[in-house]
Amino acid sequence: MSLPLYYFLTVTAINVLMSWALYLPYRVAHLHFLTVANMAISGYLGGWLVQNLGFSFWAALPIGLAAGGLLGWLLSLFIGDAPTFTVVIVGFTFIYITRTVIENTAAVGGTLGMFGLPLVAATPALHRWALLALLYALVLLVGFWIYRFDHSRLGRAASAVFVDKDLATSFGVDIKKLGRLLQVFSSTVAGGCGVIYGFLYRSFHLDFFTFHLVGLFMTIIFVGGYATMWGTVVAAPLLYGLTLLFPPEIASWRIVIYGVILVAVLVLKPEGFITRRLVLNLERLLSSRRKKNFTHKESV
Amino acid sequence: MQVFVAQVINGLSLGSIYVLLVTGFNLLLLVAMIIHFAYPQVVLFSMYIAWLVLRWTGNSVALAVAASVAASVAINLASAPLFQKIMKKREEVDINSTMVVSMGIGMIITDVLSHGFNKGLPISFPERFVGGAALFRLGLISLLSGQVLSLAVGVLAVSGIFLLLYKTREGRAFRAIAEDPAGARLVGIPLMSTGLQSYALSGILGGLIAVLLALMLGYASPGLGEQVAHKVLAVSIIAGLGNLPGGLVVGLALGVLESLIQGYLPGSWSNAVAFIVLLVVMLARPRGLFGIKL
Amino acid sequence: MAPNEVLLAVRDLEVSYGHINALSGVSLEVRQGEIVVLIGANGAGKSTLLAAILGIHVPRSGSVTFRGKLISGQPADRNVRAGICLVPEGRGVFAAMSVLDNLLLGAHHNMRGVQRNLERVYQWFPILQQRRHQVARTLSGGERQMLAIARALMSSPELILVDEPSLGLAPIVVNDIFQILVRLNQEGYSILLSEQNAYKSLKCAHRGYVLETGKVTLSGTAQELLADPGVRAAYIGA
Repeated sequence: MSLPLYYFLTVTAINVLMSWALYLPYRVAHLHFLTVANMAISGYLGGWLVQNLGFSFWAALPIGLAAGGLLGWLLSLFIGDAPTFTVVIVGFTFIYITRTVIENTAAVGGTLGMFGLPLVAATPALHRWALLALLYALVLLVGFWIYRFDHSRLGRAASAVFVDKDLATSFGVDIKKLGRLLQVFSSTVAGGCGVIYGFLYRSFHLDFFTFHLVGLFMTIIFVGGYATMWGTVVAAPLLYGLTLLFPPEIASWRIVIYGVILVAVLVLKPEGFITRRLVLNLERLLSSRRKKNFTHKESV
Repeated sequence: MQVFVAQVINGLSLGSIYVLLVTGFNLLLLVAMIIHFAYPQVVLFSMYIAWLVLRWTGNSVALAVAASVAASVAINLASAPLFQKIMKKREEVDINSTMVVSMGIGMIITDVLSHGFNKGLPISFPERFVGGAALFRLGLISLLSGQVLSLAVGVLAVSGIFLLLYKTREGRAFRAIAEDPAGARLVGIPLMSTGLQSYALSGILGGLIAVLLALMLGYASPGLGEQVAHKVLAVSIIAGLGNLPGGLVVGLALGVLESLIQGYLPGSWSNAVAFIVLLVVMLARPRGLFGIKL
Repeated sequence: MAPNEVLLAVRDLEVSYGHINALSGVSLEVRQGEIVVLIGANGAGKSTLLAAILGIHVPRSGSVTFRGKLISGQPADRNVRAGICLVPEGRGVFAAMSVLDNLLLGAHHNMRGVQRNLERVYQWFPILQQRRHQVARTLSGGERQMLAIARALMSSPELILVDEPSLGLAPIVVNDIFQILVRLNQEGYSILLSEQNAYKSLKCAHRGYVLETGKVTLSGTAQELLADPGVRAAYIGA
């Protein structure tokens, strides 16, 4: 497999997973930017464990996941039912604190970062295939869970909370529990992504975990469509692929391009391109076709 | 002891910049009813414009100041229709949408500055322009002209704003909208055009802040915007959203605290201090120390 | 404008919030020098009607004309400048601002005559002059209602829309307020008043309309309405 294609597929998978991690809490109007901090913390933790304590990548990964989940859970005790604004600020704050701590801690490489992480498999080629397979297995797994959630009673409750928190409470929805559940899940996923991301490049650097990442994921969700999980699936490869197709002079302006697309979509198509109505219509179309096939077979 | 006094002086001038930024932010919050995450980036952009004008006109300070103010006002007024279009309810702050839109605008400004100006390298302001001349020196303690100027302008600007708010017709309209937008509408105060006025006013303020920052720091870089933006947000939340007097106190306090930490602790820990305080306040007193005045 | 010429004419006004029809075809008139009362229960659409006349709501169809000129669809501040003002329900004063600031806000669109208007208002309501530097929150209910009316007068209006002035006020205070409205009318102000307290308001008014779920169901002179058995049963509880 060519290297550019490999990086396109793997980075897109990371983008999809991280954007889903952001999408899920946003079902109850929480912009859970803590996920980027989770990426950094779990990533650096995993890298440090592998490089300094000789852990294997396959042991560091679950630790990274757990670290993400733990931090997400701890904070969710406070911000599980907080207003959107608070969740955003807490997320930003953690990103800052995390970056400052990493910057000033020589043990994890400070401003230079960590280099030369070992392969996760015997050969470089196997290493690449292993990470690719792992990432897409995760995409399928997480996607499946999110799909089940969206179509469950809890998922519908989440939609109610998004529209009107107080009304939802009066229907008996436990906002705090729901918020906490979604935040913990998303932080866990983010932690895992952080570890894998570093091993894609076999290094960790502060430049990986900046506010540009926040901007990228926000653009993916809001342009793709924040009301369904499919918006992310469509927008992530498109947005990333778009800038890869441009000549390098224009590609370096990609943050500006993302910003302009984001603002334009917010003003012109506030729900994003893949709206809930579109998905509902597609689902109805698919299920009616299935019913037609079924009855046809029966009559034959 | 000398380090302490020196850092306190540093802190007060840094703090007065924070105060001005929070005041501009709160104005937009109370009167235009938007959360403008990218207000400091607009200020940063004006700094760059001032730098350009200084280069083109052979260091004409007056033109640079005028250009800086004009740039902020222009960007604010240009982004006003964007914000107004996405505000769903005219009588309440629509936090979600205005927040995301302003983050998008911030992204654009920061990255334009990274690519379009000086190849992304930090820009520095000419020696003469920067207030590095010491007006007073006592051992380690020096009172730089830049610091005095920024403190003085800061005090003047904040007093000016308070005067405007309490003694003028426009200010009354601002306060009415800040207290009760629906009620203001019923009295016939036009929400949208008065909101525009607040965009212009915070633009003027922003232009002034840009000049002060240039005086104080002597340089600017694209990343400065985001750093300052988040700290300003932190200040306004710690004080209580929309709380002008609270913003005054917290802004100055944070400036002093940061400077003290910078003086005594190695490394870049001073940057984190605002956020640690913010985290503690957010978790313990989500409405801010002095109460939300939204 | 000569007395008894039509000052305000509302024709077939329809106003809706999304799918809810608040007003379904309301027509009424206020003539120069009149006090007209809108009677109706909670939710009948009285506040919506007054707000729509002022220009807060854009009607789906129908028209509002003031002094012969079409004003429906115009923004509220233009209508205030043209001579209509609203005394909102629940007093609508700015509690955190001083009495003087509240009054000055009333003159927001007409600052030229502000000193004169201020003196006139102080003559009408000496207590407001006494308390002019106090924060509005410290006023009693009746004083706040007076402040709201005074603020409306500051814009030199011709037509005053008053939304439920008696709400939450003690009966004695309500009498005072209605007396003030009658005196204002004698001075030349035309008043359109919405009220749940049908008896007291009809006693001061010239004509009235009954509003039920967004439609005018009855209209006539104040005496006719006071005598009408349906009105008595529903709104006066005689």
